Amino acid sequence: MAIDLLNVAVGAVLAARDCPARVKDELAQYAHASGDMNPLHLDEAFARKAGFDNLVVHGMLNMALLGRLLTDHFETDTIRGFSTRFEGVLQVGEPTRVSMTLAGRTGEHAEIGLEMLTHEGRRIVSGHAKVRLRIS
Amino acid sequence: MAIDRKFLGFALPPFKVTATPERIARFADAIGERNPLYREGIAPPTFLKVLEGEDNSSRRILDALGVPLPRVLHAEQQFDYLAPVRAGDELLVERRVTDLYDKKGGEMEFIVIETSFTGPSGMLVARSRQIVLVRNAPRSQ
Repeated sequence: MAIDLLNVAVGAVLAARDCPARVKDELAQYAHASGDMNPLHLDEAFARKAGFDNLVVHGMLNMALLGRLLTDHFETDTIRGFSTRFEGVLQVGEPTRVSMTLAGRTGEHAEIGLEMLTHEGRRIVSGHAKVRLRIS
Repeated sequence: MAIDRKFLGFALPPFKVTATPERIARFADAIGERNPLYREGIAPPTFLKVLEGEDNSSRRILDALGVPLPRVLHAEQQFDYLAPVRAGDELLVERRVTDLYDKKGGEMEFIVIETSFTGPSGMLVARSRQIVLVRNAPRSQ
């Protein structure tokens, strides 16, 4: 579904999605698919040793959900940049919501704001993307 | 611990990696991507992390710097896309430590790793910039 970035108001929410809590098997699936076998995501005893109550969700898996908001709405070759800060640690069992807003327009690009929050409002990821405007 | 600043500029030997259709499909499954475009033809935007992480390369950088894994968290990640990565593309991956700094009197150390992805024709396809946080014990007074 295309979004008309040239005409939508700056500050508007462009898309949002609820994301169910992660379970251990999903972290194992991501670990094997990505090659990131850090035991922080796979081994409860290691996660406790690192200072967490439970398995920690890969930051890159959270970033991938924000990436899906981008790819659901923008064509691949218009997505020029994508960056995230992993501000909070998400553990298994915590549902989240991801959203993207139009942060601004500069020249040929739209600046997209992205975030992932827990249902309690704790910020897990904040991010930005640079998307080329289709000027015909 | 403090990371020795001699590692500023540390680089892994460049390596080649192929974005095979199987790996892209497996990654799409793991992130819940159902758009056929990203399951068959084009790598999802964060798939670059898989390519740069080939052969445990991030772990090898941390090991070389003497950083214990339980202290490490991924703090930031940035990708710049110059051209889409397509199934079958073989890319040359070059990874380098480009900055080392600390905050809170050394309680938090940061490692910046920059990666470039170059296509067979020598064209730069993408860049990645990762910041790793190392959590050290507070310094005793």
